[in-house]
Amino acid sequence: MEEYPEELRTPPVALVAVVGCPELHTAISTHLHSEQPPINTLALPDFSKISIIAKRHKEGSDSGQFNGILKRDWLSKHRTMVPAVVAALFSSDHVSGDPAQWLQVCTDLENLKAVIKGRNIKLVLALVAQSTSKDDISEDRMIALRKRAEVDSKYLIAFDLNNPLELKQSLNRLGNAFSELANTYYRDEGRRIKTRLDRKSLSSVELSIRYCFKVAVYAEFRRDWVEALRMYEDAYKTLREMIGTSTRLPPIQRLVEIKTVAEQLHFKISTLLLHGGKVVEAITWFHQHNASYKRLLGEPEVNFLHWEWLSRQFLVFGELLETSAASIQNTSSPVLVATDRVSEWELSSAYYYQLAAQYLKEKRSCLELTLSMSETVTDIDSNAESVAPSVYVGQFARLLEQGDTYVMQPLTDEEYVRYALAEGKRFQDFFEIMALLKRSFESYTNFNAQRMASYCGFEMAREYFAVNDYTNAKEIFYSIASTYRKEGWVNLLWEVLGYLRECSKNLGKMKDFVEYSLEMAALPVSSVAGIQSLGFKECGPAGPATGAQREIIHTEVFELVRGETGLASNKGSNNFKVTSDQPVRLDIDLVSPLRVVLLASVAFHEQIVKPGVSTSITLSLLSQLPHSVDIDQLDIQFNQSACNFTVVNGQRPKSDEISDGMMGQRVETAPVLVLSTNKWLRITYDIKSEQSGKLECISVIARLGPYFTISCMVESPAALNDLPLWKFEDRMETFPIKDPGLAFSAQKAIQVEEPDPQVDVKLGTSGPALVGENFAVPVTISAMAHSVYSGELKINLVDTRGGGLLSPTEVVDPASADSLHVELRGISGLQCEDESQSGIEKIRKIQHAFGLISVPFLKEGDSWSCNLEIRWHRPKPIMLYVSLGYSPHSDDQSTQKVHVHKSLEIEGKTAVVFSHNYMLPFRQDPLLLSKLKAGLNSDQMPSLPLNETSVLIVTTKNSAEVPLQLLSMFIEAEDDSDSGNSITVRQSDPLETSLLVPGEGFKKVFAVTPEVNTPTLKMGTVCLRWRRDGDSTSSDSEVVTKYRLGDIKVESPPLVVKLDCPPHAVLGNPFTYFVRIQNRTHLLQEIKFLLADSQSFVLSGSHNDRVFILPRSEHILSYKVVPLASGSQLLPRVTVTSVRYSAGFQPSVASSSIFVFPSEPHFEMTDAGVRPESITAK
Amino acid sequence: MIVCVAVVGHQNNPLYIQSFTEADDALKLHHIVHCSLDVVDERVNNPKRSGPTLNETFLGLLYPTENYKVYGYLTNTKVKFILVTTDLDVRDADVRNFFRRFHSAYVDAVSNPFHVPGKKITSRTFAERVSGIVKSFGLSSAG
Repeated sequence: MEEYPEELRTPPVALVAVVGCPELHTAISTHLHSEQPPINTLALPDFSKISIIAKRHKEGSDSGQFNGILKRDWLSKHRTMVPAVVAALFSSDHVSGDPAQWLQVCTDLENLKAVIKGRNIKLVLALVAQSTSKDDISEDRMIALRKRAEVDSKYLIAFDLNNPLELKQSLNRLGNAFSELANTYYRDEGRRIKTRLDRKSLSSVELSIRYCFKVAVYAEFRRDWVEALRMYEDAYKTLREMIGTSTRLPPIQRLVEIKTVAEQLHFKISTLLLHGGKVVEAITWFHQHNASYKRLLGEPEVNFLHWEWLSRQFLVFGELLETSAASIQNTSSPVLVATDRVSEWELSSAYYYQLAAQYLKEKRSCLELTLSMSETVTDIDSNAESVAPSVYVGQFARLLEQGDTYVMQPLTDEEYVRYALAEGKRFQDFFEIMALLKRSFESYTNFNAQRMASYCGFEMAREYFAVNDYTNAKEIFYSIASTYRKEGWVNLLWEVLGYLRECSKNLGKMKDFVEYSLEMAALPVSSVAGIQSLGFKECGPAGPATGAQREIIHTEVFELVRGETGLASNKGSNNFKVTSDQPVRLDIDLVSPLRVVLLASVAFHEQIVKPGVSTSITLSLLSQLPHSVDIDQLDIQFNQSACNFTVVNGQRPKSDEISDGMMGQRVETAPVLVLSTNKWLRITYDIKSEQSGKLECISVIARLGPYFTISCMVESPAALNDLPLWKFEDRMETFPIKDPGLAFSAQKAIQVEEPDPQVDVKLGTSGPALVGENFAVPVTISAMAHSVYSGELKINLVDTRGGGLLSPTEVVDPASADSLHVELRGISGLQCEDESQSGIEKIRKIQHAFGLISVPFLKEGDSWSCNLEIRWHRPKPIMLYVSLGYSPHSDDQSTQKVHVHKSLEIEGKTAVVFSHNYMLPFRQDPLLLSKLKAGLNSDQMPSLPLNETSVLIVTTKNSAEVPLQLLSMFIEAEDDSDSGNSITVRQSDPLETSLLVPGEGFKKVFAVTPEVNTPTLKMGTVCLRWRRDGDSTSSDSEVVTKYRLGDIKVESPPLVVKLDCPPHAVLGNPFTYFVRIQNRTHLLQEIKFLLADSQSFVLSGSHNDRVFILPRSEHILSYKVVPLASGSQLLPRVTVTSVRYSAGFQPSVASSSIFVFPSEPHFEMTDAGVRPESITAK
Repeated sequence: MIVCVAVVGHQNNPLYIQSFTEADDALKLHHIVHCSLDVVDERVNNPKRSGPTLNETFLGLLYPTENYKVYGYLTNTKVKFILVTTDLDVRDADVRNFFRRFHSAYVDAVSNPFHVPGKKITSRTFAERVSGIVKSFGLSSAG
């Protein structure tokens, strides 16, 4: 685009001229330039210079002979030389001055008018009031001036230099007048030309085109884009028709001229369309333009001009598209979308650059052809210098010097061709093509169109290759090879690899050459009949992509790597050879494209093996090279270098080089080591490792000749990836291992187990554990055949029923021991046979369910033991896991530890079971109203009468399987009870140690007197201290088991019935039997009673009555009773009924029994030693 | 005249590519087919651009190179069919018809129990059928 003249590239700007008063010119031109739309100013300092804008006399224009279509300088003349408006600036002094000055003004004006008349240029007058002006210009002079100039009054503008504000206004008025008049001027000019055009009496087509062009330019001057576009299109169409008809010039030059004009017109049209945002129309137009001129190749000797022209069309359009796309994006117009007519890439400039490059290449090849054919190469240079562009666009002429002036002389076609060839030779097409391709490449890369970019890269690299720039070419080829490799475009890849191979060869890079050769040889080109083999003539250095070519390459490269031939490089004449100084080593990893050349897979037949035990390993190799390959030697390398071994081909004579450097390593000899195409070579060997841990096969190094090795990372058969490229081929696929089970599961690594432990860990136990006690589990470690270095004992408690959580998850305070069911308390009884080592700092870490302790050094035969203390808070079975980790050798820490695991299930049991009950005093029954209401509901809280002494019996039972020793039992009052609640509990002395065998119970009696009337009274907790029978008497083994007594209800009874009779009776002896009924209320109580007769007694007293008992008093029923029979007899039963409470009472059988002696007995009473003790629980 | 047809797998790998030119420009045709995959990707990834025809298998004109026109077709299994023709004035209906027949030939070829999905199509019958379809391209409209 830059090669177009400036006036063509930018939209035309109206031109005005100012004459006179040069001091104002800068202000005026600056102001006009900043107008919208801007106006350019031609400043003429005084009236003598006006001849510049005068119309020159044309010599040949009227002669009817047209030498060309467009004049080269017409547009620039109208943009820089021919103003639309002229402003004549007169100083007011001169106007209003003396007659001589006035006369001068008039003369100047007349001259100016004469000049502008020929061009219809419009006139504006400006009067400049100088600072020294004394008075205003007289009205007469003004009118006279205006008349003389024949201008309207509004085009007479006064400037006052003294007043900046007025000056500004005057400038605005001047600007308006200018734009108005310029518009008129350009419109008039356009119309004038158009009428000529419409007359249709034009003598030639050229003139018609020229007029159309002019009208369009005038329309552009006044910013009438639609009109301009239409006229340009008219011109373009007329020009198109001219191709076959015109005979004015010799044919070659004629075509050149037409194309050049068409290019200009097309450029204008495209610019206008794109600026108008009509991208799709512009592209469609471009297509038409292309289609109509593409086939106009012209004469064969100059067809390179055609290609150059075509390339320029694409380049310019691409540039236009790029700039317009940038401006469109800036204004955030709607995004361009592809339509049916236009596809995505046509909207991007990259497409056009790419094609421009393509045509430029075409041009170059044509030019080269023409040059090689032309015999007059020497002539070209001698004749060329005097040829120059002529006055018409697209024409050339010879400049002939005639004295001081030059004369243009038309050229013959022959001369022109020579000139064009000379010009063509001067150009460096290579750089141009590269620049275009690079732009296209970058643009496609930005679009994320990788394949297009690859194609551009391919073209670029080919250019580099053509000019022997192998380094750049190789770099680009390398980057695009991966694209083709990834998608399996084998033929394209073959082509690229062929270039790469050639580049490497020319750069003398042996390793790259070998790599690319091998990859090419292993490519799946046309291995299948259905896919067409490419037999193109213009195939690259690789040759055609055929199986035969693969075989040739294979043979070539193997001759090279075996050192039989050398590599002829362009760099210098010396041959590169694979020798001991320059060995070649290829590395093939899991993503290398060379996997097709050699694929190694290693499978261990087992997954786990004991150290020192041998297992089988199968090595499988696969190659896709067209010929079979003899391998001299295979080195198999493991992560444990002690396991490395070498397989030697038995058929090859052992050469010294091969056997070097593997002293002390295992060497196997294989009868045959030949890799056939697409056929696994499988060899199986035994292998054993002494070291525990992972044994992994890392790589296989194949030696193919004395100085050529391929190091191949191995893969597991189970995780074998598909071969790149070959995976799309229809080939026979086999497993690396014959055993199908192994093929799917075998790995390239094996786990070598740790050696068997030679240390014993014993967990002793003494039956089930009891809740609450510190249960000791003895652990004994005895080193049998191993010494124990840096031993560590891990202890773990796990819930047997799963879950594993010993502490409830909802524990708020994990520190509180009560919330844990089972807890590891500590380690006790640490003892070591060697006392001097006991002082070693030990690792000790104890948590609730986990412990870690260090074990001191133990010699072989030593033993060490400790006790684990575990406490149960709830009865629960647990698993105790103990694992000992140690290293059998002291020397190195890196060796793997040996582990011994032991586990033991321990059940936690409840030691003692408690129960309790309350009893009322003998023969004394208070009326407890709550009992009446509750009826038979037994789950109610026990009720006790207020201020009456009741009896509490606590029973404990040994539920364990071992005898227990009870140490004491007492009731502990609860601290958190209210201060008002109190109860008196009489407790006996701490009991003597008593033995409780399994299943036996123990009872203790307490006297309880509630002193506060409350619905719930906390009774406290029974604490029982005990230990296992036979344990030492130390307090460590003592256990306190607590049992919380339930709450009771305290009531004050309204009535109390007491039976009063002697402890025994004697046959025949009368005694008195009282029934005392106490009324503890302050109400009168009506009581009915009924006495039933008994056969064993005779009695006196009322049987049946109703009495009233006064408040707070007592009524006594007294009976005189004589027993008639001996033995345990029931007293006559009395039934008392309280009317108020509807409660009846009958004494129980126990309380109404009495023993009747046949005669007076004799007792020897001894003191039981019961001394009541009172404690008051608050 | 159709100069090249291709079947491209869902990993953008060529499954079948056949050119029908006398001139030795097969490599160039390979490049054209490969480059046109960029347009297919673009259309598939930005379905908005290709208009309302979301479920349409026929992708239309992909790539107007100067001398060729490239048309595309995308099956449900993301297998692409590419057609390169030198006719600069091709009717849409003809291309659609071609692709329809080509598709059915492809379906028949891959339904062969001995064909492994994802591998290149090596069937001779398929090749013959395709050349038949290629030869009859445009004839139905002309006659």
